[in-house]
Amino acid sequence: MLLQLNNISKWVHSGGQKVYLLKDISFWVNEGDFISIMGPSGSGKSTLLHILGMIDDFNEGEYTFLDESVHNLKEKYRANLYKQYIGFVFQSYHLIDELTVKENLEMPLLYKKYSGSERKAMVADMLDRFNIVGKKDLFPTQLSGGQQQLVGIARALIASPKLILADEPTGNLNSKQGEEIMDIFTQLNKEGVTIIQVTHSEKNMAYGSRVINLLDGSIQ
Amino acid sequence: MLKNYFKIIWRNLIREKQFTFLNILGLTIGITSCFMIGLYVYSETNYDTFHENGDRIYRVNQSYIWGDWNKQYASTGPNVAEALKADAPEFEKITRMLDAGAQTMRRKSENQDRDLFKEEKAFLAEENFFEVFSFRFKEGDIQTALKEPMSMVITEEMAQRYFGNEDALGKQLEVRESNDQWSTFTVTAVLENLPNNSHLEFDVLMSLSTIQNRLDRQNWLWAWTGFATYGLIKEGTNVEVLEEKIQAIPPKWAALTTQRLFNQSYEAFTAENEWRLYLQPLRGIYLSNDPKSHLFGPTGKPQFVKLFIAIGILILFLSSINFMNLSTARSSKRAKEVGIRKVLGSERTRLIKQFILESTLFVTVSTIFALVLVQLFLGVFNAIADKNLSMLPVLGNPICITLIVLFILVLGILSGSYPAFYLSAFRPIETLKGKMSSVFKGKNLRNGLVVFQFTVSIALIIFAFFVQKQLSYTSSLDLGLLKDNVLQIHNFEQLEGQGETLKEKLKANPAFTHVGMSYGIPPNVTSGDKYRAFGPENPALHFDDVRTEGDFLDLLGVEFLAGRNFDPLREADKYGVVLNEEAVKMFGWGNKENYHNDSPVGKYVAMTNENASKMEVLGVVKDFNFSSTKEKIGPLVILHKDNDWVWNYGRGRTYLAARINPQTVSNTGELQGVIDDIQQEMKKMDASVLFEYSFLDQEFENTFRTEQQMATILNIFTVLALIIACLGLFGLAAFSAEQRVKELGIRKVLGAKVSELAMLFSSEFTKLIIISVVLASPLAYFLVKEWLKDFAYSTPIEFWVFATAALSAIVITIVTVSFQTMKIAMANPVDSLRTE
Repeated sequence: MLLQLNNISKWVHSGGQKVYLLKDISFWVNEGDFISIMGPSGSGKSTLLHILGMIDDFNEGEYTFLDESVHNLKEKYRANLYKQYIGFVFQSYHLIDELTVKENLEMPLLYKKYSGSERKAMVADMLDRFNIVGKKDLFPTQLSGGQQQLVGIARALIASPKLILADEPTGNLNSKQGEEIMDIFTQLNKEGVTIIQVTHSEKNMAYGSRVINLLDGSIQ
Repeated sequence: MLKNYFKIIWRNLIREKQFTFLNILGLTIGITSCFMIGLYVYSETNYDTFHENGDRIYRVNQSYIWGDWNKQYASTGPNVAEALKADAPEFEKITRMLDAGAQTMRRKSENQDRDLFKEEKAFLAEENFFEVFSFRFKEGDIQTALKEPMSMVITEEMAQRYFGNEDALGKQLEVRESNDQWSTFTVTAVLENLPNNSHLEFDVLMSLSTIQNRLDRQNWLWAWTGFATYGLIKEGTNVEVLEEKIQAIPPKWAALTTQRLFNQSYEAFTAENEWRLYLQPLRGIYLSNDPKSHLFGPTGKPQFVKLFIAIGILILFLSSINFMNLSTARSSKRAKEVGIRKVLGSERTRLIKQFILESTLFVTVSTIFALVLVQLFLGVFNAIADKNLSMLPVLGNPICITLIVLFILVLGILSGSYPAFYLSAFRPIETLKGKMSSVFKGKNLRNGLVVFQFTVSIALIIFAFFVQKQLSYTSSLDLGLLKDNVLQIHNFEQLEGQGETLKEKLKANPAFTHVGMSYGIPPNVTSGDKYRAFGPENPALHFDDVRTEGDFLDLLGVEFLAGRNFDPLREADKYGVVLNEEAVKMFGWGNKENYHNDSPVGKYVAMTNENASKMEVLGVVKDFNFSSTKEKIGPLVILHKDNDWVWNYGRGRTYLAARINPQTVSNTGELQGVIDDIQQEMKKMDASVLFEYSFLDQEFENTFRTEQQMATILNIFTVLALIIACLGLFGLAAFSAEQRVKELGIRKVLGAKVSELAMLFSSEFTKLIIISVVLASPLAYFLVKEWLKDFAYSTPIEFWVFATAALSAIVITIVTVSFQTMKIAMANPVDSLRTE
C-alpha cells in the first residue's frame, strides 16, 4: 500500500461557522493505481489533492504515506518525503517563464543531491523520452499548451517519483492535446507509476482504474 | 544551484526592464551620494594623519584674553614656549610659528621687470619646526633649513612660481618690508607640496631667527598673541595631568605683561577669569571649531560633517527602502516562481538565500555604477565644496576595498531581507491558484516605509529652503553701510607718499563719488585692543578698532548720531576717536536716547598702559556691520589713520576705497576700463607695488562662502533624496495598481468614471504624503531652529514655507502616481476580470 487516509477533515471558519472543505475522507491507494478524483467545482477535489501532496494541511484525521504518519511529521521531514516520492502536474503547467525547457526540467534536481553530470544525464534522458530534445532551449512561452504540459509532466517525472499528482492536467488543452497527455499517463502507469488525477471530464476518468467521487467535501 | 539563481536573476533583469532600471537607478543614486559623502567625511576626519609623531603633538591654546575668556584662543605670546621649556620637562620639543601676514615677493635679479606675487600663506617658523612636524623635503637640509636668519623654506609649487623649472635651492627671493625696502632671503630648502589634509597651510616659512631682535626685545610680552605654539610631548605622558600642571605657568610668567601693559597686577587682571593654557591634540585641531583666531590654515566645520553623515545614511536608507518596495511590488509576478519552487522541494531558507543573492547582485551592480559616477562627478563636487577629494587612494587601499565589499554585503542583505522573508513566506497553493490574499499583508509596513521616505525628503526640502532663505536674508540685511559699488584697491600704504597723489587723482575722476583710505575694511576688521574710559579707575575692556579717515566714513555712508566726523583740516583730530553705539554703551555712557542729556561727544578714552594720553570722542556713529552678518555688531573704536599712540595692527591691510558713480560707469566694460586705468597709474608711480582690487559687496558675500557651499551641496542631496523617494512611490503605486486592478475593474463595470477612479487611486498616496508632511514639519522646524542658532541675525521661521513644501510634495506625488493612475483607470475592465 502506498498511502492511506483515515477520516481526514479540513475546515475553515467563515462568519463564525465551521465550513467543511473536506469531511471524513478515508481511502487508500496501492502502488500502481490510476485514480481519478471527480466532482463538481468546489467539491474539494483540489484540496484533497494538495493534502495528498503534503503541500496543504488538514485539521483532523490520519494520513499514512509509505508507513510514515504524515500528520505527525515535522515540516522538514514532510518536505523531504514529498520531494522524494511525489511529482506534481498542474492544470496551468506552472513552468518558470524565465527558465528554458531544459532548465525547468533540471530544477527539481537542484533541490536534491545530484551532481551536475547526473543532472545533465537525467535531463537528457527526459528530453529524449518525451521527444522534446529540439525544444530544450526554448522558453515556456514559445511552446504550445500541450507542449508545455509535456514539459510539466517530464519535470514531475524526472526524479522518478512513485506518485504523480495531476490537477486537471488537460484542463487548458484542446481535445487532441488532451488525449496525447492522457496516453502518456496511461503509459507511465503501465510502467508502474501511481497516478492520482483530478478531473472534470468523464472521458479522462475512463483512463483511470478507480474513481473517487466528491460532493461538498465528502466521498459519495 | 548558484548558476541557476544567477540565470533567473539575469533573465528577470532583462525581462522587467522598467523595474530593473528603477531599482538600479535608485540604488545607484543612493550609493553614489553615500560614497561622495563618505569621501568628504573621510577627508574631513583625517587631517594631520601624516605626521610621524602626530599622536604626541599638541597645540598650546590659551584663554581668549581679548574678549570672551571662556573661548580658546589658538595663539599665544612668544614666551609661552620658553616657559614650557623651563617648567614642563614632559615636552620633548616645543616649536613656534608666527603669522607673517600677506607678503609681496619677487625673485632677486637685475631684471627690473620681475613678476610680483602676493604670498598670503607666509609664516615665520622656529628652527626645530621640522623635528616636530613631518613635512617631506624635496631638497635642502632638514636640520639647518630654518636656522640662520633670512632663510626661507618654500614649497615646490612656490618654487615653480618664481623659478620655473630652475633649481630653487640657494636662490634668493626679495620680500617687501613695511618701510618699502626689499629684504633678501635665501631658499634653504624646498618642500614637496603639502598634503591636502594638513591644518597648517603655508607656501613659505621664514626662519624665526630673522626677527631675533624683536624677539629679544619683546619676548616677555604675553599680549603679543600671534604665535602658534606646538609641543611634542614625551612618550607615556599623561596629558591631563600635564595640562593641569602647566596652569601654574601664566601666573608666574604673565604678571610682567599685565603690569607693564595693562597697569594691573596679574591677580587683578585675572580676577574674574582664569588665564588657562589648553593642550589641543593635533588631530583634533581641524574639526575642533572652537579656537578663535586660527590663522594657520583651514578649519572644518564639525556641524557640516555631522549633517552630511546624517544625510548620507538617510539617503542610503531611502534607496534601500526603495529596493524593498519595488521588489515586493513585483511580488505577485515572483509569487508564482516561489510557489513552483516550493512545490518542487525548495526550502524557505533557500528561497531567502536566493532573494538576498538577488539584492546583493543589484547592490553590486549599482555600486560599480556608483564608483564610476563618483569618479565622474568628483570634479564637480570638489569645485562646489572647494575640496580636493580623490578616489584613487581609496581604491588602492585594501581596507577600503574590504569596506566596500562589506558595504555591498550589508546593504544587499538589508535591502534583500524584507522581500526575501516576505516572498519566501508565500504559501505555494495560494500563489499557484492565483489567490494573493497573503500579499496584502505587510501593506502597513510598506506604507510606513514610503511615509518614512517622504518624511525625510520633505524635512530636507524645508530645511534646505530655510538654509537658502537664511543666506539670502543675511546678504540682504541692512548693514548700516552702503556696500554696493565700492571698489577697494589693496596695498595702498606701499605707495607711501604717492598714495595721496593717487587718492587725489581718483577724487578728480568722475567715475567715483567718494574716495577714502582705511587700514582694515568691512567685513574684515580684525584688529582690536584694550581701551578704557579715561581715568585710572575705569576698567580696561576689549574693543575692535579700525583706523581710517573721515573720507572713508563718508564713503561708507554711516550715519552720525552725535558729534562729527574726522576733519582733515583740524590737526588735533589725529588723536580723536569716533565710536559706534555699542562702544559708547561699553564705556558706560548709555545708549542713544541719552545722548542729548549726557553726550558722549567730548568725553575721553585712553589706552590701558600707564600714563596713556587721552583721546577725545569726536562723534558717535550708528552701529554698522564691520565683520560678518554672522555675528552681532560689537563695540568699535574708529581711530584716525595717523594716530601713533595706538599700535597699528592694520599694517599690511591698507585699502584705498572708491565709490563708483553708477551714472558715469554703467556697465562692466566701462568699469574694467576704469580699473585698468588705475592699474596703469599705479604702475607709473611704483612698479614694485602689486595691483590688487576687490569689491566690498563681494567681500561680504565671501564671509558666507562655506555656508553657501554647504547650501549648494545640501540642495543637490535634497533633490537626490526626493528623486529616490519618488522612485519608491512610483514602485508602491505600481504595486498597488497590480493589487487593485480587479477592484477598479469591477468599479468601472458598475459605472465609475475614469476621473473618479483616478481620484480614488491617487488619494491613497496623497494620504500617505499628508501624514509625511505632518511628521516632517516638526522635525524640520527643530532642525531649522538648530541651524539658525548659529546666526546672530536669522530669518523668521514662517509658516508659508512649510505649506509650500507640503503642497509641492502633494503635487509631486500626484504626478508620480499619475502614470499608474492613468494606466489603471483607462484599462479595459474585461482584461482585468478575465484572468479568473
